[in-house]
Amino acid sequence: MANSNLKETILNPIFKGNPITVLVLGICSSLAVTVELKGALVMALSVTIVTGLSSLVCSLLRKTIPNRVRIIVQLVVVALMVILVDQILKAFEATYAIDKSLSVYIGLIITNCIVMGRIEAFALGNKPVPSLLDGLANGAGYGMILIIVAFFREILGSGTLFGFRIIPDAAYAAGYMNNGLVILPPFALILLGLIIWIHRSIDKDLQEK
Amino acid sequence: MNTNSNTYTVIYTAIVVVIVAAVLAFVSQKLGPMQAANEKAETVSQILTAAQFGDKDSWAEKGNAATLDFYRDNAEAVYLVKRDGSTVRELDINAVEIYSVSELKAQNYKIKADEDFEIPVYLFKNGIKVIPVYGAGLWGPVWGYIAVNPDNRTIAGAYFDHESETPGLGGKIKDDPSFRAQFAGKVIDYTADRPFAIIKGGAKGQANAVDAITGATMTSKGLDAAIVEWLGSYENALGIETLFNAIAGEGKTINDEEE
Repeated sequence: MANSNLKETILNPIFKGNPITVLVLGICSSLAVTVELKGALVMALSVTIVTGLSSLVCSLLRKTIPNRVRIIVQLVVVALMVILVDQILKAFEATYAIDKSLSVYIGLIITNCIVMGRIEAFALGNKPVPSLLDGLANGAGYGMILIIVAFFREILGSGTLFGFRIIPDAAYAAGYMNNGLVILPPFALILLGLIIWIHRSIDKDLQEK
Repeated sequence: MNTNSNTYTVIYTAIVVVIVAAVLAFVSQKLGPMQAANEKAETVSQILTAAQFGDKDSWAEKGNAATLDFYRDNAEAVYLVKRDGSTVRELDINAVEIYSVSELKAQNYKIKADEDFEIPVYLFKNGIKVIPVYGAGLWGPVWGYIAVNPDNRTIAGAYFDHESETPGLGGKIKDDPSFRAQFAGKVIDYTADRPFAIIKGGAKGQANAVDAITGATMTSKGLDAAIVEWLGSYENALGIETLFNAIAGEGKTINDEEE
């Protein structure tokens, strides 16, 4: 595989073919876990690791998987990776509380369309290394949007970033209030819409004639 | 090789499943003790939060070791109460012996099956007693801790948790501080049919009730049933005020100004 192709594999999912803003996949979890940056960051890393490793394993197995049960085998691989991530998050003191606050959403990575989508569309037809990179890049593309959304939601909704107070108490004393709507999922949808709008106005190739 | 033959498909899937199961079993065995330590600290922090020793988030920030140390310093005794009202044995405070959620589940089964149970009362040095409750929510178990003031009637605070209630609806029993804040100052009324209740449509200032969560009827009902059942078990065991007084040892007088 040529170098330019490899570069394309990595960069395309992050910008031109971003799974959230262009393919509009993984919307549900991007609305649910973006209230705080901490949770969004852990979710982004988890999805990146799961997509990367699942794509790698499925690509390694691609010539042996019986066609009729390939979706089930993919699902088993993805579920394995998700459970491993969940177990590891639960084992460490630093991540235990975040894992608890993400509650079902870590487990629901199994149903994230991005993971299965990349295995079906890419990993089953490509060599392991490009598949791994494709998976990681798609996870990163997803994670990047998650972090952008979480940044705005945490600072507008709670006045903090990573739990640290950013908006000074003086502002609150002067009558500034956190926006309650920002905490709720509908605002995440509005924010996502704005991001898609900006993305499309910058990248002319994405605009329909 | 023909990867589409039936034999190949069956053998292939069997091997994949066995390998995955082996990996998961291995990981779960390796990480099990670390997860158990985290869960224990989590339970202790929930008990401490219910007993009004600081906020739940503050315990997460202080870390596991600090949480356990605080518990060792402030817990007076932990009694296990049987159905007939006798206390069986005390749990070791230095070793931070506590009832995990799975132990609560086992005891809940015994309560329902009319078998003999051993349920804990956590007594703190400031006289606050914490009792656990456990029951079924909508999607899975709900449980929590209710702290009772030294007068043995008013509630000092409460903390609830769940396994898989819907975030934003039933999940509010844990995530919405205003729900659990309702419990502080309420009264457990042993003379009423239901000593305590979570009421749909609002408690309307009733002293022994709090408001249910809008949009989470089943979770609220489940938690209500759990509280009534467990309070009832402690009550049946000995009459909870007598029990608490016995535990307090001081024979603190029962406040008799009922209504």
